[in-house]
Amino acid sequence: MGAPDRSPATSNSMQRVKVYRLNDDGKWDDQGTGHVTVDYLERSEELGLCVVDEEDNETLLLHRISSDDIYRKQEDTIISWRDPEYSTELALSFQETTGCSYIWDHICNAQRNLHFSSLNNDTFHSMNSELRELPAIELSTLPLIHKIVVESGITDQMRLVELIVANQDFFKKLMDIFHICEDLENLDGLHMIYKIVRGIIMLNSSQIFEKIFGDELIMDIIGSLEYDPELSHVQHHRNFLKEHVIFKEAIPIKDPLVLSKIHQTYRIGYLKDVVLARVLDESTIANLNSIIHANNALVVSLLKDDNTFIQEFIIFSLCYVVATCNLLCFSPVHFLHEFCSLSKNLQMVQQLRLFRDLMNEGIFDVIADVLQCPDKKFVLTGTDILILFLNQDPNLLRSYVVRKEGIPLLGLLVEGLITDFGEEMHCQFFEILRCLLDSYSLSGAAQRETVVEIFYENHFGQLIDVIAASCPSEGLEQSGVPKNRSVVKPEILSSICELLCFCVLHHPYKIKNIFLLNNVIDKVLLLTHRKEKYLVVAAIRFVRTILSRHDDDLTSHFIKNNLLKPIIDVFVANGNRYNLLNSAVLDLFEYIRKENLKSLVKYIVDSFWNRLVQFEHMASIQSLKVKYEQCLDDIGTSGTATNVLDPRKRIEERALEKEEEDYFNEESDEEDTATASVSNVQRAQSPPLLCNGVPASYPPSSSRPGGGLVDYDDDEDDDDFIYRPPPRKQSETAEEDDGAFHTLRLKRRPLHKDKDPEKGKKQRPVSSQSRSPPTDGSKSSEHESPKETDENALRSSTDDGSSSLDEDSHTEKQSISSKKCSDPTHKPSDNTQLSGEECSLIPPNSSPEMTVKGS
Amino acid sequence: MSDLDRQIEQLKNCEPLKESEVKALCLKAMEILVEESNVQRVDAPVTICGDIHGQFYDMKELFKVGGDCPKTNYLFLGDFVDRGFYSVETFLLLLALKVRYPDRITLIRGNHESRQITQVYGFYDECLRKYGSVNVWRYCTDIFDYLSLSALIENKIFSVHGGLSPAITTLDQIRTIDRKQEVPHDGAMCDLLWSDPEDIVDGWGLSPRGAGFLFGGSVVTSFNHTNNIDYICRAHQLVMEGYKWMFNNQIVTVWSAPNYCYRCGNVAAILQLDENLNKQFCVFDAAPQESRGNPAKKPAPDYFL
Repeated sequence: MGAPDRSPATSNSMQRVKVYRLNDDGKWDDQGTGHVTVDYLERSEELGLCVVDEEDNETLLLHRISSDDIYRKQEDTIISWRDPEYSTELALSFQETTGCSYIWDHICNAQRNLHFSSLNNDTFHSMNSELRELPAIELSTLPLIHKIVVESGITDQMRLVELIVANQDFFKKLMDIFHICEDLENLDGLHMIYKIVRGIIMLNSSQIFEKIFGDELIMDIIGSLEYDPELSHVQHHRNFLKEHVIFKEAIPIKDPLVLSKIHQTYRIGYLKDVVLARVLDESTIANLNSIIHANNALVVSLLKDDNTFIQEFIIFSLCYVVATCNLLCFSPVHFLHEFCSLSKNLQMVQQLRLFRDLMNEGIFDVIADVLQCPDKKFVLTGTDILILFLNQDPNLLRSYVVRKEGIPLLGLLVEGLITDFGEEMHCQFFEILRCLLDSYSLSGAAQRETVVEIFYENHFGQLIDVIAASCPSEGLEQSGVPKNRSVVKPEILSSICELLCFCVLHHPYKIKNIFLLNNVIDKVLLLTHRKEKYLVVAAIRFVRTILSRHDDDLTSHFIKNNLLKPIIDVFVANGNRYNLLNSAVLDLFEYIRKENLKSLVKYIVDSFWNRLVQFEHMASIQSLKVKYEQCLDDIGTSGTATNVLDPRKRIEERALEKEEEDYFNEESDEEDTATASVSNVQRAQSPPLLCNGVPASYPPSSSRPGGGLVDYDDDEDDDDFIYRPPPRKQSETAEEDDGAFHTLRLKRRPLHKDKDPEKGKKQRPVSSQSRSPPTDGSKSSEHESPKETDENALRSSTDDGSSSLDEDSHTEKQSISSKKCSDPTHKPSDNTQLSGEECSLIPPNSSPEMTVKGS
Repeated sequence: MSDLDRQIEQLKNCEPLKESEVKALCLKAMEILVEESNVQRVDAPVTICGDIHGQFYDMKELFKVGGDCPKTNYLFLGDFVDRGFYSVETFLLLLALKVRYPDRITLIRGNHESRQITQVYGFYDECLRKYGSVNVWRYCTDIFDYLSLSALIENKIFSVHGGLSPAITTLDQIRTIDRKQEVPHDGAMCDLLWSDPEDIVDGWGLSPRGAGFLFGGSVVTSFNHTNNIDYICRAHQLVMEGYKWMFNNQIVTVWSAPNYCYRCGNVAAILQLDENLNKQFCVFDAAPQESRGNPAKKPAPDYFL
């Protein structure tokens, strides 16, 4: 047989079987007792069962394993089959159940491999079950050992591991040969050893890892892996580990076990990430990682259980930091960082306890000192430690910051955010502040509130001031750089802006009061004057974030103070360039339109249409206008939207900016809260009382009841559009100004036949625009030309890369809008009734606040 | 030689930059990328590349096959990072090339250019390992937010990482996305980066990826017709042959990570378009082992614990 020489000693009881054969009488004949093996049949690549008589070494049975399902296992000790060659039933009766299942597994494996005939022959080699002993470890046997290690099948691998683990001297001998080969520069031998060691590591056995990662062996093992035959150069891992890697003992560590584990961890990591990075499979990597993980946990817990450690250590650091504040103190702080970061390997509870202990020993005091150190790198390590604490439990740091001695730390963090760190990255400050101020976290609400209070009380203004001081104010754009502007780097402004957006989302009420009282938004919008476009875009996002709050007071604040002007300015200045700025503003418009923020739609179109009209070819701008008209139409049904003209007229006469602002101031309180239907109807009834009925001094908070009334209008699309009071006299001029959007409303016209004056006014923003030539001079009689204009505009936009579908969607919108318009033909009357009920209480044309006050 | 050129040379040797250099590079890149559009216009001739996934040496192979950067125009369809060993070097090299030759190379965003995804699939850990802190990761992910979402070659070939979105019928609708944000979990921006074409789907189907959609041939036909484009070129899915046409040559997948994850055994491809938009697929194999040099996963040489 092709089997390697088997010494009788290794033939154990496991393989002892009796061979039976079913005779013609239907009885089982005992053919003799022997030892069974699974092996390659002579001169063939096929596997067979072979039983050799235990007494005379005669072959009792030779059976080629068939891929057919003919084998049966009975009672744990018998394997039987119908043998095609003998044309009868054969059976093996095992002395031991383990032997039986062992052979059975092999038969099954062999069958499986026969089914995967495409696999190469190596797989078949792996079926060799003859692995009972490793050959003696000598230079000459290396190829054999290599073959065993590399070519073993799964079952044999288990056996191989057992053998290697059982053999105390295996690695010692192997490494001896390695040293000899290295001395002799026997490259073949070294390559062979590399392959053997690699193969053994790939066996992925924890027992073996334990052995080879021991202090005595690991450097040799790494050394043997320097000779990768696939790489043209010999690697120098040992040299790197010995010469270049420095173990810094910031704190004297006395326990030798701890020291040994520390070194081992580093080396395993090196082995995994460098030496065998390309070779290891996922399960081996996972196993190595878990060793590293366990080691780290052990080191940290041994250190922390050393009672004096934390105390000594913290005091040590403190002394150093406070006393010297030079690079000498770098080490302990770095050590502290690594210590905290390794403690991630502990179980959650343990880790939390450790961090608590550290906190109680005053770690945050140390870090506060660290943050004041002039060395920037040092400061940043301090922030990294804070982040580790925050990742574990933000409340630890919060609970410190709310204490009296902790208050300065928050200031230092804010200071850090706005400090120029030169080349160093310092995004940690942003991260830390965000973590501290995060209001979505569930626990520790009370402390968080306090932190938030302190932040707004002491630091928020500082951030805004930095922005204001760093941006040229309007009109100064062309003038030279103000003195203190260059101080703050743009990336810092960008961080501040991002933090502000975060604040808007997390502390809506806090921020609202500040924004309404302190002109904060204007200051942030100064960013739009910066030349760095990403800052301009950041400012736009800031606005978008505020508007996403759907807060009526803030919305009206925008309108009242004409806060979208800077955004429109940069949008217009950007022209037709399709960049992030363009997209961000369009996104803002789309948002306003889709969210049906009617007062804003109206404000934008009223105030800026003359400047936006040049972008009419953009679908979003177009849609905004359509939306605007829908809104007007709805109001129009009540017959008194004449007011539209007034503000626009003034805006067209750009000189009157101040007046415009006054206008906004006067009106906004009402706009922000009035429910359209209520006021619409009232206006319809008594237009003369429209203007300035509401004192501008109304505090925003008092408008809450108004908000409630808005909700009660459930047809959000049409009914709650808010508009400015119409000065009556304008209505006649409107008549003449029929224009561009005429066709848009042709379909809707029947609904409003009797309200032509109002319709005319709606169209006026375009018709009065000298910048859209086709509409120039067009009168209400020329309904066709504007339509063409639209189409032309759309076509040209198609050339521009936008799509011809716009047209379709546009017409679709028209029909939708006309539908919507026809729907409400009944609604307004409903509303009239509804609001009519309230009419009795509300003075005509007053805002809901008035209602409340009045009643 | 300018700093930037020196950095490019250094990166070409698979040596990562210093933190401070990364910071400066990212700030410059930000100013360039903010000027790009969501549908970035690209002129032919151009070579389109699919996923790279941090397989630095295979990307060098790509440049060997396709030509060096300023000589050949490139369009990369995203997924520069994660999975491979060299996400940092790969992305920084591409970014440095972008800053150096803004008009010669276009980078658009893939679904892996995201904070969430990179924390799971390797880029985050790699940054932490190579720099000892995640600051570089923060800077790079901030840059991801600025990357364009798609490209349009000569008005005829629409290129995107994943695929189409039910929310997008016209290219103009992409314009109104404020792309500077983490990839959302749904909506147009998410779909562009996550969707896949699928034979058996008629119209739109749920994606097994949990984000984006599956879309069928009819969707592609109508999209291409509506927008008057010849075909869509996208990446996002491993194809063993490097590229794969679907739906009667209306959409093609290009995959540029050979032997993906160092074990999939696939070849990679790039799509070369000449000035007349004639197509040529160039298929290439993984870089040979010798050329890979030392694995640069070296841990920090100092340690305390």
